[in-house]
Amino acid sequence: MSLAADSPVHSSSSDDFAAILDAELDKISDASADTREVSEEEQDSDHGEESDSNLDLKRVKRRKVEICEGIIDPLSSTSQGEPTQTSGALSLEKEACLHPGAYGGLCVKCGQEMDEESGVAFGIKQQYNTRSRNPLSMISCTCVTKKDYMFMEVYLSCLQNLRLANDEIARLRDKDLKNLLHHKKLYLVLDLDHTLLNSARLPDITAEEGYLNGQRDSLPGTFSLAVICTLSNLGCKILNNLKIYNLRSPDTLKSSLFRLDRMQMMTKLRPFVHNFLKEASNLFEMYIYTMGERPYALEMAKLLDPGDIYFNSKVIAQGDCTERHQKGLDVVLGQESAVLILDDTEGVWGKHKENLILMERYHFFASNCQHFGFNTKSLSQLKSDESETEGALATVLKVLQRVHSLFYDPVSFLQERKDDLVDRDARQASFK
Amino acid sequence: MFFHIVLERNMQLHPRHFGRDLRDKLVSKLMKDVEGTCSGRHGFIVAITGIENVGKGLIRDGTGFVTFPVKYQCVVFRPFKGEIVEAVVTMVNKMGFFAEAGPVQIFVSNHLIPDDMEFQSGDVPNYTTSDGSVKIQKESEVRLKIIGTRVDATEIFCIGTIKDDFLGVISDPGANP
Repeated sequence: MSLAADSPVHSSSSDDFAAILDAELDKISDASADTREVSEEEQDSDHGEESDSNLDLKRVKRRKVEICEGIIDPLSSTSQGEPTQTSGALSLEKEACLHPGAYGGLCVKCGQEMDEESGVAFGIKQQYNTRSRNPLSMISCTCVTKKDYMFMEVYLSCLQNLRLANDEIARLRDKDLKNLLHHKKLYLVLDLDHTLLNSARLPDITAEEGYLNGQRDSLPGTFSLAVICTLSNLGCKILNNLKIYNLRSPDTLKSSLFRLDRMQMMTKLRPFVHNFLKEASNLFEMYIYTMGERPYALEMAKLLDPGDIYFNSKVIAQGDCTERHQKGLDVVLGQESAVLILDDTEGVWGKHKENLILMERYHFFASNCQHFGFNTKSLSQLKSDESETEGALATVLKVLQRVHSLFYDPVSFLQERKDDLVDRDARQASFK
Repeated sequence: MFFHIVLERNMQLHPRHFGRDLRDKLVSKLMKDVEGTCSGRHGFIVAITGIENVGKGLIRDGTGFVTFPVKYQCVVFRPFKGEIVEAVVTMVNKMGFFAEAGPVQIFVSNHLIPDDMEFQSGDVPNYTTSDGSVKIQKESEVRLKIIGTRVDATEIFCIGTIKDDFLGVISDPGANP
């Protein structure tokens, strides 16, 4: 009802009044209040064009009505009043939740559905989705940070839907570091190829290396793999005891040389690698970080760690890298200051050179030597190998042990990082 | 929560199955197609318990396939927000743990694990109280409350919590009974 049109005389006041009345009417009918009240109001409004003195009266009247409503409301709806209060508190809580991460589009903390577009730290996702790349069941967890790059850590496939915000990653890193320091450990990021092992494609095996085929064990399945690796551990011990370093011995070869028919690969583990991992696992939390494809990386991890003790699926492969041809620690859930990297290629660790301990490359197969432009005979052609006790891994293990003891030195309280000195030491040592 | 409901599905059957055991073929194909799947609306179809009726088949032009509308009774499982479920832990990591209640996978973030439980890495990653009396690791059975669900067309995501009274481990695989 438009009262304004009917009241040309008291234009301003009645206009206002009419507007108030209209609003009031709407409010009342909205609130589905007593019909009697509404009719009363209507009566009031019918006399809307009367004098100002009346107006005051009506105001009083209306106020009464309002008061009545005010009284009625809490009485009639005490039960309704409380839930609105609590829901208010809940929404406050929701606002307080920083949504530290999301699993399948749900906040992991409050369980609210999250709009992936709007979230603080949730931007790109599909681009690096590894599902398509991974025929195997191990798929990385994908987390997006504020800088729009991916943060991933490798776990089983169900983690694929898990994303973490930047702050949460920082928090986890912090927490993890405390845990780590508590256990007196550091992080160790290990490269695969030319650092822990050497692989060659089967077609690239030269005739001269054909003897290897007679030595190797074809691996039908993981079970036998485990057995072989335990044997290899035993073998290493026995060899150490007997001080035999002649690696032409078929047993040693047998235990560290694998032929993976499924992948058309032959892989030679670096001498001492099992002992190295065993010793290092006491001091470090270890990650595998390789530029290789994931299936390859997982297969290699199985060779190195058949019991899944050391790496516990902490395998980072090419698909997880955030930058092309670069390895970055952003995908490692660990504080950079406590990370040591063992790699043979300096170039890929652009941002983290100070964490890097450069390894002497391990070339066992001839095809590998050619690839890197060496004209000398490869270890396989010479039918020899690196020494168990004085090889690069044994040397670097000593360096790692020293770094670790320096880090946890109670005198210096060097809780920061192995300084450059140590790094340089390590590099020189590994070059020797 | 489990429900026993009637659903309908259009089944396409190859002409080679037309014979006296057409109905059996239809039912076995239905079971194969439907059981274990997840529909966003009804949840996971756990098992088919019976066939209500099979409608008239419609022969498709060109292919010879026949489409039968089949009404069937089935048990479905659909998780709800606020529901308490018992689940088996499948994976433990720094970020929390995953547990399975039948076909449903539930993630419990470390925010929703009691504060006195700390993550312990190692051979068997786990969450343990400071006194070591309670431990959550793979294969542990936990009672948890679902605090959020998101239903996709083909997937259901659940977030759970054990940070509440009467929630947490109900059996420990590490402990000797």
